[in-house]
Amino acid sequence: MLPEFELLMPHTLPEALDMLAQGGPDVVPLAGGTALLVDMRGGHLHHLPESAGEYTREPFGKVKCLMDVSHLAASSEPFGKVECRREDGHVAVGGGVAIAELVDSPLVARYGPVLGQAARRFANPLVRNRATLGGNLAYASPAADTAPPLLVLGAEVELASAAGTRRVSLEDFLLGVHQTARRPDELLTAVRWPVPAPQAAGAYRKLALRQATAVSVVSVAVMVELSHLPESSQSFGKVECRQARIALGAVAPRPIRAHAAEEVLRGQPLTPEAIAEAARLAVEATCCIDDLRGSAAYRQRVTEVLVRRALTDVATFPPSRKLGSFREGNS
Amino acid sequence: MTVQVKPLPPVELPELRVVGKPLRRVDALGKAVGATLYAGDFTMPHMLHAKVLRSTLPSARIRRLDASQARALPGVVCVLTAADLPDAKLTTDMPGQTGQKQRAGSDAPVLAVDRVRFVGEPLALVAAETLELAERALELIHAEYEPLPGVFDPLEALKPGAPVIYEPDNAVARWKIRKGDVEAGMRAADLIVENTFRMPFVEHAYLEPEAGVAWIDDQGVINIRVCTQVVEHFRSIARAVGVPQNKIRIQGTLLGGGFGGKEDVTVEIFLALLAKYTRRPVRLAYTREESFAGHAKRHPFIITHRTGVKRNGRITAAEIEMVADSGAYPYLSPYVLLYATIMASGPYRIDNLRVDSVVAATNQTFTSAFRGFGGPQACIAYEQQMDEIARALGLDPLEVRRINYLRTGDPNGTGQVMKGAVWLEETATRALAGLGEKTPDHGPLKVGRGLASYFQSYGRITWFHDTSRAWVGLEMDGTAVVRCGAPDLGGGQINSLCQIASEVLGVPLKDVTIYSTDSAVTPLAGTSTATRQLYMSGSAVYQAASAVRQVLLERASKHFEEKPEDLDLADGQVFVKRDPQDSLPLKDLVARCAAEGLPLANLAQFQAPFTDGIDPQTGQGDVFPDFTFGAQAVEVAVDVETGEVTVLKSVACHDVGRAINPAAVVGQIQGGSTQGMGYALMEEFVLQDGLIQTPSLSEYLIPTAVDWPPTQAIILESGSGVGPFGAKGVGEPALTPAAAALANAVADAIGVRIPDLPLTPEKVLEAAERGRLEIGD
Amino acid sequence: MQPKIVTLYVNGHTHQVALAPNVTLLQALRDLGYTDVKNGCEKGDCGACAVLLNGQPVNSCLVLAWQAERAEIVTDAGLGTIDHPHPLQEAFADAGAVQCGYCTPGFIIAAKALLDRVPHPTEDQIREALSGNLCRCTGYGQIVEAVQMAAEKISRNQVFPKNLVSEVDSPPRGVP
Repeated sequence: MLPEFELLMPHTLPEALDMLAQGGPDVVPLAGGTALLVDMRGGHLHHLPESAGEYTREPFGKVKCLMDVSHLAASSEPFGKVECRREDGHVAVGGGVAIAELVDSPLVARYGPVLGQAARRFANPLVRNRATLGGNLAYASPAADTAPPLLVLGAEVELASAAGTRRVSLEDFLLGVHQTARRPDELLTAVRWPVPAPQAAGAYRKLALRQATAVSVVSVAVMVELSHLPESSQSFGKVECRQARIALGAVAPRPIRAHAAEEVLRGQPLTPEAIAEAARLAVEATCCIDDLRGSAAYRQRVTEVLVRRALTDVATFPPSRKLGSFREGNS
Repeated sequence: MTVQVKPLPPVELPELRVVGKPLRRVDALGKAVGATLYAGDFTMPHMLHAKVLRSTLPSARIRRLDASQARALPGVVCVLTAADLPDAKLTTDMPGQTGQKQRAGSDAPVLAVDRVRFVGEPLALVAAETLELAERALELIHAEYEPLPGVFDPLEALKPGAPVIYEPDNAVARWKIRKGDVEAGMRAADLIVENTFRMPFVEHAYLEPEAGVAWIDDQGVINIRVCTQVVEHFRSIARAVGVPQNKIRIQGTLLGGGFGGKEDVTVEIFLALLAKYTRRPVRLAYTREESFAGHAKRHPFIITHRTGVKRNGRITAAEIEMVADSGAYPYLSPYVLLYATIMASGPYRIDNLRVDSVVAATNQTFTSAFRGFGGPQACIAYEQQMDEIARALGLDPLEVRRINYLRTGDPNGTGQVMKGAVWLEETATRALAGLGEKTPDHGPLKVGRGLASYFQSYGRITWFHDTSRAWVGLEMDGTAVVRCGAPDLGGGQINSLCQIASEVLGVPLKDVTIYSTDSAVTPLAGTSTATRQLYMSGSAVYQAASAVRQVLLERASKHFEEKPEDLDLADGQVFVKRDPQDSLPLKDLVARCAAEGLPLANLAQFQAPFTDGIDPQTGQGDVFPDFTFGAQAVEVAVDVETGEVTVLKSVACHDVGRAINPAAVVGQIQGGSTQGMGYALMEEFVLQDGLIQTPSLSEYLIPTAVDWPPTQAIILESGSGVGPFGAKGVGEPALTPAAAALANAVADAIGVRIPDLPLTPEKVLEAAERGRLEIGD
Repeated sequence: MQPKIVTLYVNGHTHQVALAPNVTLLQALRDLGYTDVKNGCEKGDCGACAVLLNGQPVNSCLVLAWQAERAEIVTDAGLGTIDHPHPLQEAFADAGAVQCGYCTPGFIIAAKALLDRVPHPTEDQIREALSGNLCRCTGYGQIVEAVQMAAEKISRNQVFPKNLVSEVDSPPRGVP
């Protein structure tokens, strides 16, 4: 059973923002509920003391008032849309867009495929139909699967309130375990990123303890702007990296960019040696803990391997040949 | 290297019309359209909702348990604590159906009296008008604990000075086998191989959490509708509630999975007590987390093998030590340990054998029955040991097994002679051959293959004097009714009974109705455990149906002027075998029989062999009616950079004697093997200092549809089972070899043995690196 | 926490029922008599509670009943009955895909949603679509076969499976 709470049901975005303005920190937006409701139910598991498992006594256990935003997506607000805003060269995904839509969206496939890849590995199809992009980011699990791809896409979030809208880079938005820069009167209404350069290529890798409905042990996203797209694996080592972005999930209190690793690749040919060096440096950006799913040491080892593999993907295959099977290649 | 499949001896199995066909099961469509009601789906008028207050500490004295505020909450009708139930103790030792005397000290309190011994131990029961009120009442019951030292490891528990949970020394049970001359056997060995293997707590994770409804009827009988594997629990519930045995009725529902986890009393006792005290219907439905904390787990084992072998692989002697964890209460631990002890040495001919086993109490979730009942744990150890022996000798793993396999007429570790077909080599070679061409290594993916042979008993321990009963009868229109107390776990238990009745009586399957699992109206058929129902209840149904058949054919012989053995029954007709057109509708024959007062129904009791117990000093004697033999072969790819293990192919081959419904047998094999592979790779119920770290299906991971391809099932039928039509049993056997085969495959891939399950990526990576360093890769 | 009257459209029936905000769609459906929607975990791990919400398969344990107001909800029992089963339900029964059956309604919902979008799915697509439904009995082999059988039967018979619609606006109770 869920604990008792009030449930507000705004019909429009302005109405929702007014409710947040009035309710302050006591009102928490509820979209798909796939994380929030699980959290809240956890508070009622009487026999389990504070320290058992990870899904009990979470920060949202004491929420008194929820505000349903799931219907805002159904209306024609941008909250529920994936759009390509040509006028400023950005792709915008509404905060209310379900993860399932990211899997199928042609715009995401074209302008942010690394996000689509992560969406495909997100939980399972039933959860994806309800979980939203805004919810995944606002809940701010250290393992949030949509965060590493958005970090390498250079994304920013739009936070709307009754007072107006502001934009914050995703890197500045995610602050810690379930901590974000969202003020209590704000709603995460969109995530946007610049349309990548034509020679940009990305890749995503996730390691978990089974192939569906599994929290990431480590997740990695990379996006590299190349001098030119490789035509085949023969081009390995002959492509130059103009700039690289590398993001890591589940290896720190929040998803992070591995800036030192990125720097070492800037302006360099993407050789196996350069990739190996970047992978090693990426590990230094981590701040892992031991938990039920793995030790810190294991996560560090896996980080190096996944970064190396993701960068190798990018360096050896043209983006159009990246694959659609529900399991990534293993090599 | 291609595997030579061992040819099968010629077996003449009579052609049957219904048995042996993959017909749609009688319960399948109702379940598929969502019409079937499970235990948590029933409502009764004026029904109350129950909740259980459970301990949050693993080891503590209860200083104070104050329910006064909860009782005062409007809408809360009843709160019970141990203070209200002075005599309520549950016999957890042997579900009462055999009438065996319970062992002293094996009772668990229904509600904790002055101590709690594990997290989740029940402290109080609440019945309220709504579920919400019941939950709120839980919050208003104030429990004050004084933490006591606890012990969380069975080896620690056996050391002097450990906190005592089970008097006098935490040893809940011990068994031993002494056979031949182990010292001489070891002296005769060319090599001695020693290894220790460990297995964790495992959770059944059936999809249906425990649930039920109870009410008192107008005869004062407490009726309990519940998902249970054992109808006969009404006896121990009656004792605990303080009423005569004929005042408790168990109406078992079709289970949403059991696997042994619903073999002990779960919600029934709480329901009976609350119904008795409130005089109103009460429902109790566990949450998933409550199910995890509140029911038994699979026993963790630490098993050490010390095996003497000749250069050619022949085993000359074996010494095996087993230590298991019973958790806080014994439940079925002594018997799980016994099974493991009997099967400890595997399906191999070993004349010089010493086994010592002990199960110890700890302040952790209690352990009890889980598919295989100690057999899978034994197999995980003995099959990994066989591969280690092969590696040490530089021999092929199949070859080492072939030299040592039991054969028909050989005695097993307790001296019980294997009668009937022992198709170990037949099944092993087919499982291996089924893997086909070996997948080549690719980059960091190293491919390995593993084999596990096994034997697993079916039918219960014969000194329990097991019986089962069934009633079969015909209606005036030629349709048939079967009444049998057997619970159906989902494995097709009751469907098999219908197919058997249909075959024997010649009544189409769609015209057979079965009433099952109700102590008020169906003859008691014993537990759905120990892979016994097809053997026991199938035989009872066969006997009862055969008695009716005989009446029919004897009467028909007068009509046709033929001998009864020249007549047959099929498709609702009785006919002359050599001229099937010469026939009579069955319902016409039935009418004539009825008019003449001939009995058209029969109640049969089937009896397993009754033996005496094994010798307590030597462990020698007959224990089981029979065994199922088989094998599983698995091919895996190990990513040596991340430790991830992917199952590429899996093939299982079992001699099931006779498959009553081949589709159901395939389902058991695929399901059991998936459960076993989950055991090997991803399943561990984790407790730390007695606190549950895996409280739900989010933390405790079971396989999904995208983890591995399904196991290919190869069914062999030797016809040599002691069940109906020569059937054996496959429910538990389907799981037994899977984890061992997988562990052997991983070891083959990386060249290093990881002796602790589960083989998580982290453990595999660490081992793979150790292997690389050792080999100088 | 004030309950309000909520309108739920389930399997073609209209229900108006007073519900508190914290009632999940799973609870509301079961209390209305739709016991084919099963409680396996109440946290989105197992899929036993899956229903179609405006044609999409979702875990009803993670939807608040208020959020589902006026949406079209379909449960397994709305797809067919013992006398008129849906091809998926028949295929599950015939392929041996139903053992204990507790997971079956959720699987059929997920499979229905798949076949509505992809009438001829590959085995990989089937497994992927069912990856949010746990089964402890079958090992998934016969379940995948059942979906393949149903896909073939549906396309062969040109059957466009209709949801079971009743004229009567009262909740179905009990068992046929």
